[in-house]
Amino acid sequence: MRIVHYLNQFFGGLGGEEHAGTALETRVGAVGPGKVLEQYFGGECQVMTTLICGDNYAVENQDAVIDLALEQIRVAKADLFVAGPCFLAGRYGMAAGALCVAVQNKLHIPAITAMAAENPGADLNREFMYIVDSGDNGAKMREVLARMAALAQKLMRGESIGSPGVEGYLSRGLIRDQFVERSAGQRLVDMVLKKFKGEAFESEMSPTQFASVPLPPAIDLASAKVMLVTDGGLVPKGNPDKIQGSAATRWGVYSIKDCQDLKGADYEISHGGYDPQFVRQDPDRLVPLDVMRDLEREGVIGHLHEEFISTSGLSNPLSNTRRMGREMAVRAKELGIDAIILTST
Amino acid sequence: MQLTLAYHPVNSIGFGERLSLAGTALTVSQEELRAIVLEEALIEAVDFVIAAPNDSLRAGPVFDIVEPRAKAPGASPDWPGILGPPQTAGSGMTHVLTGAAVTMLREDSSGDSRGATGYILEMSGAPAAGSHYSTLQHLIVVPHTRSNIPAAARQRAYRLAQLKIAVRLAQAAFAIAPARTEVFDNSDAETRAGLPRLAYIGQIFSRQRKPEADEHILYGADTDGMLPTLLHPNEWLDGALVPSYHASIGGAESYFYQNHPVILELYRRHQAGEINFIGAVATIASANNFDRERNTRFAANLAKWALRADAAVLTKFGGGVPHTDLSETARLLETMGVKTAVQVTDAARDHKVESALLFNFPEVDAIVCIGGNDTHWKLPQVERVIAANSGLAELLAGPIEIESHNVIGVANQQGASRLRSVVY
Repeated sequence: MRIVHYLNQFFGGLGGEEHAGTALETRVGAVGPGKVLEQYFGGECQVMTTLICGDNYAVENQDAVIDLALEQIRVAKADLFVAGPCFLAGRYGMAAGALCVAVQNKLHIPAITAMAAENPGADLNREFMYIVDSGDNGAKMREVLARMAALAQKLMRGESIGSPGVEGYLSRGLIRDQFVERSAGQRLVDMVLKKFKGEAFESEMSPTQFASVPLPPAIDLASAKVMLVTDGGLVPKGNPDKIQGSAATRWGVYSIKDCQDLKGADYEISHGGYDPQFVRQDPDRLVPLDVMRDLEREGVIGHLHEEFISTSGLSNPLSNTRRMGREMAVRAKELGIDAIILTST
Repeated sequence: MQLTLAYHPVNSIGFGERLSLAGTALTVSQEELRAIVLEEALIEAVDFVIAAPNDSLRAGPVFDIVEPRAKAPGASPDWPGILGPPQTAGSGMTHVLTGAAVTMLREDSSGDSRGATGYILEMSGAPAAGSHYSTLQHLIVVPHTRSNIPAAARQRAYRLAQLKIAVRLAQAAFAIAPARTEVFDNSDAETRAGLPRLAYIGQIFSRQRKPEADEHILYGADTDGMLPTLLHPNEWLDGALVPSYHASIGGAESYFYQNHPVILELYRRHQAGEINFIGAVATIASANNFDRERNTRFAANLAKWALRADAAVLTKFGGGVPHTDLSETARLLETMGVKTAVQVTDAARDHKVESALLFNFPEVDAIVCIGGNDTHWKLPQVERVIAANSGLAELLAGPIEIESHNVIGVANQQGASRLRSVVY
């Protein structure tokens, strides 16, 4: 098996920060950590080419470095691409991660790197690849290289990869299914008893901590242009935009110009997750046009935008809702909307 | 409350002149069963099909699966509140045909979030390996109702016919000594100090749908207006509960009320002297926050103050919204010093951890996650497709691509699922 290995200027033996501007260089055979790496493959693998690049150069010229590296990897007829380990070196980690992802996507061969969880290259790339958790201690180089070799061999053989804790990689934040011996009921009782006794237990899922969204500056509501947005799936009869009732990928914009009150006969609900009978009777219960018109007349708000936006939030994954939310925000900005009332179910 | 289950293993079902259980061979009379089904005036005709493990057979959409059980003569009524007066279930002897099932099909798709195929019973191949139901001997009941009757009336007829057949089959065991009996009794819980006191809190319906007016869920009641209530573990096992007609938000079958995986595991631990299984609370997932605040507090208070639980396990019914009731009940219990573990379904259609949970409480950190979004099957053509009409038969004939949730039993929410999410 043939390996191409990527190192920064320091681990590649060029020198320290003063060489961080060095452009990508190529060496035949293994250099530095690459020699140790070969040992852990038990003679099955050989480093054909070592690519060395200064950290600043790699980050500032990422696309060009990737193109050059891909070419060298092709020429070397590599079966595996290895980058690092990078430990806490941030620019090194970002370059290594970007190179590995490009190699996987363009050359369809396995790629592996290692870095500390705190390395900015980790969060940027962990979803797309296996990154061995190197910790922040460069003295553990041999141990980290051993784990990289073990995981790389599994990837090359197409074997199933165990959990992050067992294999020693940074969790990718992804989910796969597995059939297990113990039923969910048994697992539930096992888990609560461990928790009760104060023993360690492995939850099968953990909540994600989301960054808080800062409050936007206050606006003068009496002069504000307000728009209504809902994820409750209210669409005109016939569902003209074919908004899916579950995991919707589309959203629609519907006119309420000159309309004072939404009528059930004009709308339907594309959302399978709640009892829609009350909204069917009176869509204002979901998209509160009637009270917004009152507020408009009373001068509480400046005026209500003449369209509302609708989609279905049912079983909708964040990667999808985040995209739709951004699209809606762009639309609102273009329209000069000052405030949005988002109604859900 | 003491319930004795008398187990009669069944290894084959065959058609014959009269109902009988000889060894492990159950013989059923189609003529007799047809007469029972046709007592429901809305059902015009009925077919019966036998399915065994590894048969190249697919049936669907499934209305419900019921284990044949009959109360011994003189005991409480079978399926109280549905087939008899709503007297307390869970005492006395019940005869059980273990390894057998009565599987009722429906004539339309359950639709909505479960897709056009509804729930499929698959007896062979990879999907079968993921469901307990493929290990059973099934008497499949294929109903044909009169046209132009309301869906709820049709489903009520399915339910009554199915339960009556299940009871009738088990009556074949009345005169026969069971292979094994098992006693369910937790009344010693109060005398065994020092063991952790565990409670079960299970959602039996979700207000994502309105129950049909005459729908049987709890002792024949449709649960409208219901508050969380204590329900003895034996009542869950012995006919107090059936799932809603709204199968599209289900993941629950009568079979796994009768063989409730959480309750059976808690009983096993109780009998092993590891815990005191002190009882169970039946609750409802709410449609709005006002009801949610009330219901979650009632459920948590019953577990804490009526059952004096040290720890509780919680399961949900239905889709996404019930996660809020589930997690809020668990959070309230944790604030009262009751340790909890909850069972959730995987909401991450993009296979990302960030999309998987619909709550985020630091205290609610013991989570069993039934997966499913990562499991799809391409079903091959099979030798026999059983469906109530030709349109459904054509749909199910295959090859057909389906999600794990569409194979009945795979993503069961009563604790039977062996599918789990693994984070990598």
